[in-house]
Amino acid sequence: MLGLTWLRGLLRRRSGRLVAAAAGVAVAVGLLASLGTFLAASKATMTRRSTGEVAVDWQVQAQPDGDPAALLAAVRAFRGVRTALPVGFAGTTGLEATVAGSTQTTGPGVVLGLPDGYRAAFPRALRDLVGAPTGALLAQQTAANLHARPGDTVGVGRAGLPPTAVRVDGVVDLPQADSLFQKVGASQGAQPQAPPDNVLLLPARRWHQLFDPLARARPDLVHAQVHARLDRRLPGDPAAAYTRVSGAARNLEAHLAGTGLVGDNLGAALAAARSDALYAQVLFVFLGLPGAILAGLLTAAVAGAGAQRRRREQALLRARGATTSQLVHLASIEAAAVGALGIVTGLGLALLASRVAFGSANFGATPLATLGWAAAAALAGLAVAGATVALPARRDAARITVTAARRSMDRPARPRWPAAGLGLALLAAAGTVFWLTGRNGYQLVLAPEGLPTISVSYWAFAGPALLWLGVGLLAWQLADAAIGTGRRALRRASQPLAGALAGTVAAAVGRQHRLLARALVLVALSLSFAISTAVFNATYQQQADVDARLTNGADVTVTQPPGADVGPAAAATLATVPGVRHVEPLQHRFAYVGADLQDLYGVRPATVVGATRLQDAYFAGGTARELIGALARQPDGVLVSAETVHDFQLTPGDTLTLRLQDGRTKRYRPVRFRYLGVAKEFPTAPRDSFLVANAGYVTQATGSDAVGAFLVDTGGTAPAAVADRIRARLGPQAAVSDLATTRHVVGSSLTAVDLAGLTRLELGFALVLAAAATGLVLALGLAERRRTFAIAAALGARPRQLAAFVWTEAAIVTAGGLAAGAVAGWVLSLMLVKVLTGVFDPPPAALAVPWAYLGTTLAVALASVAAAATLTVRASRTPPVTILRELA
Amino acid sequence: MASEVLVRCEGVARTFGTGPGSVVAVHDVICELRAGQRVAVTGPSGSGKSTLLHLMAGLDTPTAGTLTWPALGGRERLRPGPVGIVFQGPSLLAPLDVAENVALPLLLAGEGEAQAVDAARRALDRLGLADLAARLPEELSGGQAQRVAVARVLAGRPRLVLADEPTGQLDHTVGTEVVRALVETAAALGAALMLTTHDPAVAALLPTRWAMADGALATGDREVPCSA
Repeated sequence: MLGLTWLRGLLRRRSGRLVAAAAGVAVAVGLLASLGTFLAASKATMTRRSTGEVAVDWQVQAQPDGDPAALLAAVRAFRGVRTALPVGFAGTTGLEATVAGSTQTTGPGVVLGLPDGYRAAFPRALRDLVGAPTGALLAQQTAANLHARPGDTVGVGRAGLPPTAVRVDGVVDLPQADSLFQKVGASQGAQPQAPPDNVLLLPARRWHQLFDPLARARPDLVHAQVHARLDRRLPGDPAAAYTRVSGAARNLEAHLAGTGLVGDNLGAALAAARSDALYAQVLFVFLGLPGAILAGLLTAAVAGAGAQRRRREQALLRARGATTSQLVHLASIEAAAVGALGIVTGLGLALLASRVAFGSANFGATPLATLGWAAAAALAGLAVAGATVALPARRDAARITVTAARRSMDRPARPRWPAAGLGLALLAAAGTVFWLTGRNGYQLVLAPEGLPTISVSYWAFAGPALLWLGVGLLAWQLADAAIGTGRRALRRASQPLAGALAGTVAAAVGRQHRLLARALVLVALSLSFAISTAVFNATYQQQADVDARLTNGADVTVTQPPGADVGPAAAATLATVPGVRHVEPLQHRFAYVGADLQDLYGVRPATVVGATRLQDAYFAGGTARELIGALARQPDGVLVSAETVHDFQLTPGDTLTLRLQDGRTKRYRPVRFRYLGVAKEFPTAPRDSFLVANAGYVTQATGSDAVGAFLVDTGGTAPAAVADRIRARLGPQAAVSDLATTRHVVGSSLTAVDLAGLTRLELGFALVLAAAATGLVLALGLAERRRTFAIAAALGARPRQLAAFVWTEAAIVTAGGLAAGAVAGWVLSLMLVKVLTGVFDPPPAALAVPWAYLGTTLAVALASVAAAATLTVRASRTPPVTILRELA
Repeated sequence: MASEVLVRCEGVARTFGTGPGSVVAVHDVICELRAGQRVAVTGPSGSGKSTLLHLMAGLDTPTAGTLTWPALGGRERLRPGPVGIVFQGPSLLAPLDVAENVALPLLLAGEGEAQAVDAARRALDRLGLADLAARLPEELSGGQAQRVAVARVLAGRPRLVLADEPTGQLDHTVGTEVVRALVETAAALGAALMLTTHDPAVAALLPTRWAMADGALATGDREVPCSA
């Protein structure tokens, strides 16, 4: 009965206090539940996206003693296998083609025999470039090596047997050549460094005609595989999906009893995705959890704004005989009301935010997970309500006397320098952990190869967490001491607003140092959360853009088919397409470095840096401008990979002889270059070794100015739209790719997840937290001092004079909080980007600062403060006797 | 010789709220307060004493009638200035210490800080409260807090002191001390004093007594310049 009466009274007379505290709880619950949606959405997306790109799920290799037909039957009968087809692999001594009177010969290669229906069963294994989609197909690079086109005849060498010939029907790309030509069963270190350069694909019937004899004569050169596609109904969680798929692969091997080994491509993709899934969880902890904690602190501040009045109420009740347990009971009722309201509101907020941010309103990947997340968020909300309302009341009831409970002011404190050491110690600890984490290259997610287990190095979380704690503690202690004892400085600071009242204002502000220091720290932590989250997300987007740009080369890229002889003059045609600002021709040749065939890119040094936005991080030993400039000054210069430098023990200036294909004779001949420096990355270049040279020198040395690709700068126009226009101009055969599409498919599955949803969620909450930490806390604190302002007005204070008190407080909290928050936010940003290096691809050379968002956050915070102060000043115009009567 | 009129009420009334739920706190009050007068307004709780005092202090506006301050200037110039107020409940500003509280009205009036602080210290000295100068309001007893409020009035050198139930939350002994301090303060300043009280013993300390009942003001036998 007492509890019900109390609750009714709270709802009637203290509804503002309840609603404000419930709002804080709602923000914490909403953020946690929304983050659950992010984790669920991202995990489900990761499994789907990572497995979507896999062409062949399993490649089961028949062992020498095994029967390929029996192997095929066993794989087809295995649980979970949807489709299984046999594929033959045969080694060829080389391929030869005579085109326009010139004969080209390659080194050893591989000939695949593909059965009917292979393209339909494994559509991602081959990509048509020119000619027919079936028949004898040459791989792109092989066609380039032979200078062969559909219709040409290619001789196929067979060890110990007469060569044979096939007529080329088409040229294809093998997008997943690395996995297609893997050494099944070998460890990562024993895999070939690169797929074979020379590949021919034949229909299975023809392949058997040509290579069954070789299989009898040289069984070491011919082997069979079974390519399988599995039932893709996998768990949404990549880790669970990986466990299922890899377990099934091991199970099949056991079933085959040594007659076959499984190359688990699907498992490999899921292994990467499970790392990414864990990184998603890591991001949740690093980026999301601080927001929820901040919301909890905010709720504590909101609840604390009414603490004085609550203590007085408690004192009155105790003076009238209420026991401690009765007081705690009443406080618990208030906490339960706040918690219940906050939870319902928070979950509703989460549903709305999740729908806006992720397009989904599930808190988990499964109904059970949804229930779990909602329950966890609700429990967290109850914990916040209990900690901020019931616990302080319990503490006060147990410890403070009735008279002490009615006291509200604190004496200015002496500087607690020894206690300030704790904040510094935490910062030092943060630095130490950060340094220790850096010693293992910031590897947060540990996924030992071949093992089903995967773990996160949670130790790394300690760095940013300690930094946050240390900054908060140090800021609180310094602000508390500065406001409490810096009377002279406060007086000077309030002089412009308060005039002759500056001393009084400084005295009043100084005695509220604990309240103001707490508000200042809340502003600082909110701002640092907003800054670090925004900078991290902006840097992530920046690197995703860099990755896509590295892969695609430019906003739009027009890639020439192999063997095409299109010169740089064709750029003029592309330049007339609406939306095109600049076209940069890029030569793409192949060059032998010793026995190794590498991609060679010929660039125009005068224009390539700006046109392709080359980053300094792409090179070593100099900036992009310096090294490309060196190519201009030394036309026979070449930039090579670090691996090539090591293999050939090169020093700058060394001569490097490459074999390039002559444009006239089509034969490879030696061309001398000088080693200038290292290129680690280059637009459109593969991740393996490659070479960058001066296009003019390459043209002169090979007699051919043929361009491999045209890199198109759209100058801000949507790349997809310009790409469409170019396709319309050049025809459907043109290979045109744009940045937006590339960004979608490239990189790790986490990149593909595109943290936009998490970004929207966190940045939105950060804005809300910033506004609440500034304006709401200030407004509540000022509202609790209505009596003070009413008395001052009754004594004759003008609104302008009351405003001096209000604005001085607001200015101190805001200026101090913004300054501390800006410094903390920047340092936290640097640390987060470093610790979470594994998320970026490639790692950033510099942070991206989203000035527009930060400006918005600052504007929201300042507007919130201004609104709170203005409303307070306006409220002071209420006849003071009215307020005094209300508060008597 | 007739002393100048500090406050004049002509048919002053104050009604709170509208419609059937409205409350007429004060109605048809006609009276004058002159310089040097010492008036105690008595009456039971809810009789309108505080409302009348608030109206005279310019803290509230009448809903009917005319209220003027012929010798004190308009409403806007009453506080801080010629009118000093002592409230019933705690009226010291919590964030300021005793000295700062006493100096506040002077600073609000635009006096220099040094002069205000000096005036505050003298006022506290005069009332024997110098030792309390650095204390915070919460560290004072009820009587001490009210005496500090009186010192605050003294420091401002008003011409009219209005005290609303200044002993309402104090025991008889302490309350009497506070009233004596008020009377002495008013005498020292040559100011008029009007206090409201429901305690006849307190009212007896002042020469003139007005009575309020149900919002109507009735004068006492001695020095009866007003009628309602």
